[in-house]
Amino acid sequence: MTVWRTFKWIRVATLLVVAISMGSVCAVGQGAKKSTVDQDGQQVAQRSTSAHEWQKEFDQVCSTTQEAMSFSENELAKFVQRCDALLPQIEKLDETRKKVYLGRLRMCRGLYAYVLESKRNEKK
Amino acid sequence: MNAKRFAILALLLVFCGLSLAQTGTKKKRPLPYEFGRVVLNNYSEKSDLSPVVFEHWIHRSKFTCRVCHVDIGFAMKAGQTGIRAVDNERGYYCGACHNGKMMVDEKRVFAACSRRVNYEDQKRCDRCHSLGKKVPSDFDFFTFSQPLPKERFGNGIDWEKSEEMGLIKPAAYLDGFTSNKRSLAAQKDFYLNPKVEGMPDIIFSHKKHTVWNGCELCHPEIFMGVKKGSSHYTMVDISEGKSCGACHVNVAFPLTDCQRCHSKPVQP
Amino acid sequence: MKRNERGYPLFTLGCAVLMLFGSAAAQIFLPPAPPKQPSEYGKVVLDNYASKPGSPGAVVFDHWLHRSKFTCRLCHVDIGFAMLAKATGITAESNGQGFHCGACHDGKRLVKGKPVFAACSSSPADAQCNRCHSVGKYAARKYEYNTFTAKFPKAMMYGIDWQAAEAKGMIKPIDVMEGVTFRKAQIQGREDFGITAGVPWVHPVYFSHDKHSIWNGCELCHPEIFPTAKKSDVQYTMYSNVHGRHCGACHLRVAFPLNSCQQCHPRAPMWAQQ
Repeated sequence: MTVWRTFKWIRVATLLVVAISMGSVCAVGQGAKKSTVDQDGQQVAQRSTSAHEWQKEFDQVCSTTQEAMSFSENELAKFVQRCDALLPQIEKLDETRKKVYLGRLRMCRGLYAYVLESKRNEKK
Repeated sequence: MNAKRFAILALLLVFCGLSLAQTGTKKKRPLPYEFGRVVLNNYSEKSDLSPVVFEHWIHRSKFTCRVCHVDIGFAMKAGQTGIRAVDNERGYYCGACHNGKMMVDEKRVFAACSRRVNYEDQKRCDRCHSLGKKVPSDFDFFTFSQPLPKERFGNGIDWEKSEEMGLIKPAAYLDGFTSNKRSLAAQKDFYLNPKVEGMPDIIFSHKKHTVWNGCELCHPEIFMGVKKGSSHYTMVDISEGKSCGACHVNVAFPLTDCQRCHSKPVQP
Repeated sequence: MKRNERGYPLFTLGCAVLMLFGSAAAQIFLPPAPPKQPSEYGKVVLDNYASKPGSPGAVVFDHWLHRSKFTCRLCHVDIGFAMLAKATGITAESNGQGFHCGACHDGKRLVKGKPVFAACSSSPADAQCNRCHSVGKYAARKYEYNTFTAKFPKAMMYGIDWQAAEAKGMIKPIDVMEGVTFRKAQIQGREDFGITAGVPWVHPVYFSHDKHSIWNGCELCHPEIFPTAKKSDVQYTMYSNVHGRHCGACHLRVAFPLNSCQQCHPRAPMWAQQ
């Protein structure tokens, strides 16, 4: 008791620590409530405009693989670039979708690169 | 002494090596209803379930190869996809169709893999996790295959002719997964010289393959070379599952049907 | 021990080791002798399910009767039997469905005008289980080996010369079975060729494609037993033959046995015969 009374700064420090810890718990709690968690406790992709955009971009890029043979070399090179740009966005997804879309992107990009190489080869 | 020991060890190794070789015997040929069966056991036994038995014949009559292997994203080898129950529950892989809502041929497709399982659900689990169990199926192979034109080996069914005759209508499109709706520009058929005296040339029909596979299924993962003749593969490679063997060992018509490929002129 | 006596135990040990090694090598490389009775040659015992309760017992399949009536190709390609005992996975169910044995043994199919008895028939009146499930039982046989093969020409070393029997018209193996065989365009016949052994003291083999493809077609051997038609791609030795692979797939237990050296190695000396 004597120590407590004597060293005023100990009282102040203790109060500060308690206040900060309580504050951080509240803040984290708030954050936990805000994050989107599905029934398995897994963090799903943030619902923002960018989440839908990558899907749209993927559908746009990979829906034309059937016509790959009719594209010019420049167009094919652009498609390959767009696939490469999608890769980091797909890698941020949850485990399931990442697995699925990485595989699909690999095949899609692979085809464009393949057709591009075969066209370049033909020229030689 | 060292030389002797080495010689003995070397000989032992040679014997071991020879004994591990796989070719040279005529193994069991799967029966028509067994051909195309894939057993998946990455996680089943670890979760106290029987391994999954997947039958290709019923699925290939309803969908093209492309829908599953490109649009949904299944790998071409058992165990390589890494399907988990949670993936199915979220509507991917098997769950893309097996979601309890999709209708195929006016029948509701049963849902695969739920987390909360009742006692009654056991039957549903057993429909796929059926290795070693006798599980009644909705589809009987004999009833199914009876009206279809026959071929030898494999499933005993001429799948191409079945489609031509309109007896099967494999869907090339799956809502939510297929982004490609346009039809494929026809690729050229070409012939491959087997470089073995006496064997007829192989007429490879791009058209027949792309109708069901699209482009990405084969290029570049199965066939990497851009120039015809740049990739060399032999029947040994094929029988090990490389190049043509990715499909034509276990699912498409098997390699014993020589004349299906080694056909000159082209079989209609 | 004196200096010159020290070597004896080692020498004896060395000889013993060499003898063991030699006999092991002989076991590995030299083909086993076929059964003394040619009627036993080609016998296959199928007992995948013999020990299960309710099973009628193991099956004994004698090749000699079937090979006199059908080509190898019909059973091993069209019907699809494996060439290893117990590897096919024949069940009563598959027979009942018309596969495997049931492809012919269905009680209705006529072979040379006579109906073939049904295999694994569910009706007790037709059941003739002991005709096949005959291990350990006395079953009166319809055809006896000695009577059936009495007039067949005998092979050079052992058993029957089936090719000569066919050439003389004594047997006419059927190659096409309705509902089972699909006729396809013939692939051009392949030439005979020689195979040189990897070691200089073994005489080369003369291989006749003609003789093999008459009864086997192409698909029996290619691509499962011999994965490629290109000679140099497949490496095999007597080791693999003796262990039932490559040539041994047939010539270990059914076709003329491997120890009939001169039938493949035409110039091998007679003393090489085991």
